Amino acid sequence: MQILTVIMINSILAVSLNLVTGYTGQLSLGHATFMSLGAYAATLLTLKLDFPFVASLILGAIVAAFFGFIIGVPTLRLKGDYLAIATLGFGEITKNILLNLEFTGGPMGLRGIPKVTNIYIATIVLLLVIFSLNRIMSSRVGKSFIAIREDELAAEAMGINTTKFKILAFTIGAFYAGIAGGLYAFLFRYINPKDFGFMKSIEILCMVVLGGMGNTYGAILGALFITLLPELLRIVSPAIAQYRMVLYGLLLVIMMIVQPEGIISGSLLDKIKPKKKMEKGGQ
Amino acid sequence: MRKLSKFITVFCVVVLTLALLSGCGQNQANTPSTSTEGESEGGEIKIGTIGPLTGDVATYGISVKNGVEIAVDEFNNENGGINGKKIVLISEDTRGDQTEAANAASKLIERDKVVAIVGGVISAETMTAGPIANDAGVVMISSSSTAQGVPEIGDYIFRNCLSDEVQAVQLAEFAVNELGFKKFAVMFTNNDYGLSLKNAFEAKAKEIAEVVGIETYNDGEKDFRAQLTKLKGANPDALYIAGYYTEAAKIAQQAKEQGLDVQILGADGFYSPDLIKLGGEAVEGSIFTAGFFTDDPSENAQNFVKAYKEKFNAEPDMFAAQAYDAAMILLTALKNANGEGGQVLQQEMAKTKDFPGVTGVTSFTETGDALKDIIILKVENGNFVKVR
Repeated sequence: MQILTVIMINSILAVSLNLVTGYTGQLSLGHATFMSLGAYAATLLTLKLDFPFVASLILGAIVAAFFGFIIGVPTLRLKGDYLAIATLGFGEITKNILLNLEFTGGPMGLRGIPKVTNIYIATIVLLLVIFSLNRIMSSRVGKSFIAIREDELAAEAMGINTTKFKILAFTIGAFYAGIAGGLYAFLFRYINPKDFGFMKSIEILCMVVLGGMGNTYGAILGALFITLLPELLRIVSPAIAQYRMVLYGLLLVIMMIVQPEGIISGSLLDKIKPKKKMEKGGQ
Repeated sequence: MRKLSKFITVFCVVVLTLALLSGCGQNQANTPSTSTEGESEGGEIKIGTIGPLTGDVATYGISVKNGVEIAVDEFNNENGGINGKKIVLISEDTRGDQTEAANAASKLIERDKVVAIVGGVISAETMTAGPIANDAGVVMISSSSTAQGVPEIGDYIFRNCLSDEVQAVQLAEFAVNELGFKKFAVMFTNNDYGLSLKNAFEAKAKEIAEVVGIETYNDGEKDFRAQLTKLKGANPDALYIAGYYTEAAKIAQQAKEQGLDVQILGADGFYSPDLIKLGGEAVEGSIFTAGFFTDDPSENAQNFVKAYKEKFNAEPDMFAAQAYDAAMILLTALKNANGEGGQVLQQEMAKTKDFPGVTGVTSFTETGDALKDIIILKVENGNFVKVR
């Protein structure tokens, strides 16, 4: 059950990064940072100010979204590699601030968080996130995101304010990541800055790339795969368990060679349901 | 919208399949896979370890696992297990990651049905795995998580380790009561280790004696003359160095050069043959606390070192020794509890008093923290000698 809950939380993270990287085409290497902001904000609100769970979860997400906005404004003028480096730097800054502030517990982290998150709450939140994301993606805003990914110049020419929409995507992504962070804190009852480092960001990115960029269900499948695989290998046999991290890496490499577009890729969908795709195009 | 509802259906199917899969796995896990002899079902009692066996802190985790293995082997050989049931050890890897530690703990508890867990190794692991074990009523004893708040997680969480506070306080007491020093100077390295040693030492020394000067340095520095000159002016009769052996050796040498010829005191960061190699004459007579002493003359310790060398072809370190003690405390309590886990085991654990281990004599406080007489070592004729 524990693992299923973790899968739900990771799915929210993957889905939210997919909005930024998959749909809007902006490579972010600091997604775990927004998760940490959401987790810390929600935890502090509950521990110090006795906020109820739902309120701190939402406020935590708003804090994360706010920082997403603040960071988005200067950095989203950058493109490609430069944006990736800037988000990376932001992640390191946040981690070090959390490590050195007194009220965040420094390297000791925050403990004594009540356990609220369970599989039902996590599933409901994930479904809400998917639902709202679907609404966004089928709206004008969503189409603009995709337009920006496909060709920023052309989108600009079509009258889309690219910077504004990029910041919007970034902020929404940060909001969802903040929710995931809050759920995470209320599941493990202990948070520590080192847990939201660069490696976590990369892990989330792996989920998105593996599952298939620009596809919500792909992102969820990626989260499922990446979370479950090490645990499954742990269970199979003690002999394999020893090398499970090697196997895990190997599988990732093989996946990228065989199916570089991810498990669920656009081209794969075209092959399976070409009719539906055409209907959609005709609408 | 149709796409969404379709997705939800698929999603539910996946979740159900997973639940089914984990159910199947449970049946498999119930048939003992680790035992070599064809024992009848229920002929074994399982305990688990969690810790990093891969990743950048793997050395600690492997030492802990090895230490526990020695303890289990010894216990099985000596007593033939408990009521004829052999103890079986299941070790889980965490990569030093707190999420994995929580997963590993729930796997051990739900799937393997262990009666107790030794771990986690680093504090963050224990922080996330601890509440899970505590909620499930499974006893967990960590042998190396020194962070504040570990035993406070719950009644089922115990700890057997050398915390920075305890060793600094005990050394201060020893220096004042046994050695008769009155005026202390302190040098500390500016990180969490040095800082918590210094804080604890300062508080205790101020209470029972006097602290005349405190100076700080950074790891990797080579020249400590400025700080030492200042401290010399305060005229202390002992110098406590809260740091690691590399710098400690240099500080001792430079103190002598500066004419600050006083007793050097230290903590477990001193314990390395390199201290004597680097420090030479200057560190002669230094007194410091240690978690474990490989040349400890006691029979217990020598047996452990011998068994460890035979099995793993390496010298046991502090982590292995503390894990060995933790496992031994656990197994002894388990024996007293007649192999029963849960509350019975928890009560037996809490009763542990003056347990003679290889890292000193251990009892538990009310919260489940170890209360032990820490080993104190001295440098004599270029060798480490145990003074307590």
